[in-house]
Amino acid sequence: MAGLTEIRDEQLLRMMQAGDEDAFTTLYRRRQGGIYRFVLEISGSAPLAEDVTQEVFMALIRDNRGYDPSRGPLVAYLLGMARHHALRFVKRDRTYVSIGDESSGSGDLVPLSPEDPHSTMSRRETIHSVQQAVLSLPEHYREAVVLCDLNDMSYEDAASVLGCSVGTVRSRLHRGRALLIQKLTGGAKVEAGNEAIDPSRCLA
Amino acid sequence: MNCKEFESVIHELVSRRVADKTKHLEALKHAGHCLWCALRLDEETKLTESLQGLAGALQGQRAPGRVEEALLQAFRERTLRAPAPRFGLAGKRLWGGLRWGLVFAATVAIACIVILQWPHLRPRSSAPVAQGANNQPLASSEASQAKPHGRPESGALDDSAGELTTDFIPLGTCDDSQCMDEATLVRVTLPADAPLAFGLALDNDYAPEGFVQADVALGSDGVPFAIRFVD
Repeated sequence: MAGLTEIRDEQLLRMMQAGDEDAFTTLYRRRQGGIYRFVLEISGSAPLAEDVTQEVFMALIRDNRGYDPSRGPLVAYLLGMARHHALRFVKRDRTYVSIGDESSGSGDLVPLSPEDPHSTMSRRETIHSVQQAVLSLPEHYREAVVLCDLNDMSYEDAASVLGCSVGTVRSRLHRGRALLIQKLTGGAKVEAGNEAIDPSRCLA
Repeated sequence: MNCKEFESVIHELVSRRVADKTKHLEALKHAGHCLWCALRLDEETKLTESLQGLAGALQGQRAPGRVEEALLQAFRERTLRAPAPRFGLAGKRLWGGLRWGLVFAATVAIACIVILQWPHLRPRSSAPVAQGANNQPLASSEASQAKPHGRPESGALDDSAGELTTDFIPLGTCDDSQCMDEATLVRVTLPADAPLAFGLALDNDYAPEGFVQADVALGSDGVPFAIRFVD
């Protein structure tokens, strides 16, 4: 299986379609972490992240012909599926974290990495508050922030995952970040979509 | 660059996504003399660092091992249920083409066998043999029944011509016994291997000159519907 690690996702998918178990295992191990974290970051729920990760790869096993390489990389397709499943799960089961409601007690839903022995209480608190702020963003903005800022995804790939244009991704990201800054700095709450930029700046 | 333009690239600036170096430098230069934009750059940088801290804290998060086990189990069951050739997509396509080729070849072979064995498979003709329009008599039904199929040398004696002939072999253009009533017989010369096309085995001395004689029965419309070989 060592040689398979060099192979691109799309080739692994084709090998998997031909019944190659090693190719499937390689593809799973390569991509499951990103999918799991993506769902964890947008939902704050580890059980949901686990369910969705399993569901995404089960769908790939059941019918892997839905992927069209001309529409973007395989990882974007997988994350798109994960997003779709996550939204479906959240709509179906309201026991998961209530997005945008900071009083719902979702603070302990995102565990910190156990491999982080140097983290101080202050750092933990900072990370926790950032988690809370991200989870409290409206869904569209949260997804853009999670994909582009937490997962370092390009605008193009994020657009492929979200099924919208690159311009829309940029716009949502910009507004999402503006809301995050307001939440984290304790600024006055603004309505989503309001520009935080003082027009007078444009005179500079 | 003004503040509005600065604001439009500030995210690319802090996440180092600005592809154009000139634009990057212009934005930094603008932030250098615009206090407001310098503050914006500072808060965006802090936010990016916070988000990176969160991403780093979550970096080790993965689905539990039981998910992989369950998926592998499902994959194996799926593969067992629908075994696929393990030689890649090109091989799969090749196998698909070969499979259809084999089906076609088998169909052609079966068709050839059926055509060649047709005289043996059909029930022996008991149709009465009629007098032809040219007054050349056909073999009688009794004589036909007495004739062994497919072997000219073991054929029956034609009553009128004193010849040994095979049974009439239908050509498939007329299954109606009435055809024989209105038949016209035509004597033709055919290549020595013509009987083989009808599944008749020949002895080497059957056609020493390379030709064989045959009677072709023509219907009233001139279409041949049966043939017999003359020894």
